[in-house]
Amino acid sequence: MVMPMDDGLLEVREVSKTFDRVVHALNDVSIEARENEIVGVVGENGAGKSTLMKILVGVYSPDKGEMYHKGKKVPFPRNPKEAARRGISIVYQENGVIPWLKVYQFLFLGHEDKYIKLMKLQMDKMREQACSILEEFHVACNVESFMHELPLSTQKMVEIARAILGVRLESEDTDTTPIIILDEPTSPLTDDESKELFRDLLKMKKNASFIFISHIIPEVMEFTDRVHVLRDGNLVAQYDFSKQKMTEEDLFRAIVGRKSSEYISRTEEKKVAGRKVVLSAKNLTKSGHFYDVSFDLYKGTCMGFFGPAGSGKSQIIRTIAGLLNFDEGELKVKDQELKADELPHVRLARGIGYFSGETGKELFLNWSIAKNISIINMEKILGKIIPVIHFNAERKMAENIVKKLEIKAPGVGTDCYSLSGGNKQKVSVGKWLERNPDILLLDDPTIGIDVGAREDIYEVLLEMKKKGISMILVSDEPKEYSVLCDRIMFVREGRIQKVLGPEEFRKVMST
Amino acid sequence: MNKQNNQKTVLGVIKKTLKMHPVIIVFLALLVIFGSIYPGSFFSPINFKAILRQFVTLTLFALGPSFVVLTGRLDLSYVGVWMLGGTLVWLLKPILGIFAIIMIPVTGVLTGLFIGVIQTKAKIPSFILTLSLLVTYTGLAALIAGGYPRAVDGYGFITAPLIRAIPSTFLWSVPLIVAAVFLMKCTRMCVYLNAIGSNEEGARLAGINVDKYKILAFLLSGIFTGIGAIILFQHLGGSAQVELKLNNIVWPLVAIVLGGTPLTGGSGGPQRTLLGAITFTIFYRGLYLTPLHPTMITLLVGIVLIVAIIISARGLKGVTVT
Amino acid sequence: MTREKILTRPNLSVEWFRNNTTTIGPIIFVIAVVAIFQVINPSFLSYQGIITLVYAMSYFLIAACGLTFVIMTGSFDFSVPNMLKLSALICVLYIEKIGLLVIPVALLVCLVFGFINGLLLARFRVPSFLATLGISIVLDGIAWYLSKGHLQIMQDVKFRSLTTTFIAGFPSILYWGIGIWIICTFLALATAFGRRTYAVGGNLEGAGLSDINVARQRIYVFMLSGFLSGLAGVLYMSQMGGGSVNIGADMAIPLFASVVAGGTALTGGVGGPHRTLLGVIIITWIQAGMSMLAIGNDIQMLTFGLIAIGMSIATIDRKRIKIVK
Repeated sequence: MVMPMDDGLLEVREVSKTFDRVVHALNDVSIEARENEIVGVVGENGAGKSTLMKILVGVYSPDKGEMYHKGKKVPFPRNPKEAARRGISIVYQENGVIPWLKVYQFLFLGHEDKYIKLMKLQMDKMREQACSILEEFHVACNVESFMHELPLSTQKMVEIARAILGVRLESEDTDTTPIIILDEPTSPLTDDESKELFRDLLKMKKNASFIFISHIIPEVMEFTDRVHVLRDGNLVAQYDFSKQKMTEEDLFRAIVGRKSSEYISRTEEKKVAGRKVVLSAKNLTKSGHFYDVSFDLYKGTCMGFFGPAGSGKSQIIRTIAGLLNFDEGELKVKDQELKADELPHVRLARGIGYFSGETGKELFLNWSIAKNISIINMEKILGKIIPVIHFNAERKMAENIVKKLEIKAPGVGTDCYSLSGGNKQKVSVGKWLERNPDILLLDDPTIGIDVGAREDIYEVLLEMKKKGISMILVSDEPKEYSVLCDRIMFVREGRIQKVLGPEEFRKVMST
Repeated sequence: MNKQNNQKTVLGVIKKTLKMHPVIIVFLALLVIFGSIYPGSFFSPINFKAILRQFVTLTLFALGPSFVVLTGRLDLSYVGVWMLGGTLVWLLKPILGIFAIIMIPVTGVLTGLFIGVIQTKAKIPSFILTLSLLVTYTGLAALIAGGYPRAVDGYGFITAPLIRAIPSTFLWSVPLIVAAVFLMKCTRMCVYLNAIGSNEEGARLAGINVDKYKILAFLLSGIFTGIGAIILFQHLGGSAQVELKLNNIVWPLVAIVLGGTPLTGGSGGPQRTLLGAITFTIFYRGLYLTPLHPTMITLLVGIVLIVAIIISARGLKGVTVT
Repeated sequence: MTREKILTRPNLSVEWFRNNTTTIGPIIFVIAVVAIFQVINPSFLSYQGIITLVYAMSYFLIAACGLTFVIMTGSFDFSVPNMLKLSALICVLYIEKIGLLVIPVALLVCLVFGFINGLLLARFRVPSFLATLGISIVLDGIAWYLSKGHLQIMQDVKFRSLTTTFIAGFPSILYWGIGIWIICTFLALATAFGRRTYAVGGNLEGAGLSDINVARQRIYVFMLSGFLSGLAGVLYMSQMGGGSVNIGADMAIPLFASVVAGGTALTGGVGGPHRTLLGVIIITWIQAGMSMLAIGNDIQMLTFGLIAIGMSIATIDRKRIKIVK
């Protein structure tokens, strides 16, 4: 897939990268950025976007591939400073801003050597320069204010200005156009802030080219000139919006790209109405994330919130879990109203469990399997008269789970450190199986584990559902919804758009 | 586009300064309170001198660690440097003569370097590392001096009066204070240490050699404490001390926190510590004039420390506190 | 695609030693300490010598157990020595007025200050090291205020017999110490409280998601530490029969050193009071051995400072933490 190149500013061809000689992170990927444009690189989590970017800025070196800068073949940069000399700089997704620095200090951070005269830092000169640079990039802020005082979108803009400035200060070639990589810049921003950011970004286009990494489809459609789609380490498609007419659905399907045969629903169509309502939300709102979310969750059913990243779906589930507070609305468990600022352990006492796919988050890795399973099942292993842990009961409980879920480990005393990712996940599911909560929230339950383990976990979850546990699912994997859910709510920009059954969902996804 | 400060008026400047340094209000309030209760004794030349003397002690101890606190770490070794350095001076005086005093800054520099390298490379929480080192130094000092404080002659010139009504140790410490403020105001050090304290990961992403500057912070702490301890050596009696006093450790910390450098780092620095030191001194000297028992004063100091920390820890979101 | 690690039982010998360094290390350390002192001073392990060792370690063990719980959660309690001091002084100052009722009073006072420590950390988000440092100054001030700095002598025979009665050849303080140690070990290993303590230290976020009220657990742990320090103070006073505000003056570092020497890392989540016994034996026996040899306080402080630094380097889990402050 070699592009014809006319006005290409930066181009990489057939880049491949494997980790540990096993995982193919990138497979013959070629992308190109032209002068003064915003080019998108989109894909799901794990599609290889960040690996590609880290190669561009010299954090990783590729196994094979070529790099062209202004049509000339150049070696890949070996470190970020070298990349900056070539004119490539990156704005990281998070952690880039230093809250307690003033704007002008932050702008020149790491480049102060250009402003030192007789050991003295020329603050006035820096301040003046900072003013003129911010003016040039149309960033409206006072150079004397602290970074944390600025609105988030302005902070991002200052970061971008800083990246361009870094290229200008470091680059040997003074009139080169800086290439700025934006790694999911809108993820911490609200809708309005994102719009603000893009308005400013369009103005900046005449100063630089941008490589825009995202998985939020609407903003990619609206603001990029061209887009590269990555999936599982391959470049699967590229579109030029000026030449092709596309809809969001098209792009979404290109990103997800599943074959329809994968969407085999294993949920029998059931009547959900008439069942008992276990959890109901009315007009739940967390400003900046989701608005007016109302639903009823019925006993023994699973409901999914489906939507692109940034749609607010994960905030909804985290709010129900007690990790976030909601601003308005009401949340009821069996006619009992929940307070907005309850912590997760209070919600758990009311029967709402939270199961996250990130194993490091929930498991105690230096503990044995048995301890990890028993931590939320303490009542079952404590003595009736004296509250003492009965180690036999604990072991039996864990052995049961290990046998049932076929967790591969030498024994229940094995530390979770030494387990593989899939088995760790099974331990996590196992403890919820034992706990048997009324409601289980599934936040990306199978992220980062292999197909076999995935199927096993689905089976356990389906069995739990049959036992009468109600579930709410949020996932990046569309297939998961059709496997587990009885109803799927489409969420976009924080609002529920429509509700589908699994059959309809399958149809929508496969056409 | 970028409107330069439109509050260039005097009132605006005052407002802004007060907002940045709320401790000034406390300072003025204390001045008014004690001044109106004890107008005679509080504004007497004797009390003025006592205030200056205590200010010097506090400042010289607190100046160095301020650099470290700015990065979000703690350095409690200052009293140790002063004690061990003094003992070494006593030990080496017969050999080196007057130049034995050089042992204090040498101790300071080596200590700073040692702590910096161990803290950064071996990743031990700084407070426990420096506290352990402090105890080690106390033991070492007592061992060398044989368990007694030892008087050392020959450095009387440090305290010899230069100007009447102003202790000369105060004059001696002015260059040190100026140097610290210069470092903070005019070099890139200030930006880097601020950045590390504020968001260490971000500073690393911005291409700063974070480890180098962390070690530098500890080194600076050692240097300033070392030089300051020369003055303190004579200022606090001209003898090698061997007894560790909790007050000597805690008061400089109070001065730092009171000055407005939060212990999680990221803002403030030595220049603010000066404010904290003078406020604390006024507080202490003022209480001294009251009929309060000295132990009650100790108690109040502890409470002030806690309150100051609570206030400075307020508004820190997302930081895991252990 | 599953790449299961082939998990085999470790072959004894080298592997086993490598996996159990945190247990074997302190044991070897103890044996070395005993051997060295026995060689230098043959009366080290005589009956009289052993009684000295018992007196030195027992009250210390109780205080160290309390601190261990705090360090297990990843926090630090600087106020243990001063808590001990205050409780000891309350006992000696008020025993004539209210009799043995001073013991619950002293314990209650320490419990309250432990609660304040926990509250400062869990509710006001003050780093525990500084919160407890501030509280220890307050405690110091109260101790000075109550005792006026004078040396106080405990006259009450009944109170003194609490620890100095000999049972089966050993003073009863030993049974106090061992008893409390067993209870603490039990508490840490066999109860929900212990599990939660380990959980808070091991994975703070995970603990919050696993049915644990993190703030309350932290407060409980500091209260336990305060209570045990108070108890140690009561027993100390009963054992020593007197003291002034200097009680516990140099205890902070030896206490800390004994906890980390046992194998409880500063980062929390590992170790426990059962390990602290070995650490306490190492530290207090070195202390007692040196005192028997008339080695001064100075060298002892030096030694403990170095042990504390060395042991923190040895036990800390560097993989788990990215930024250390």
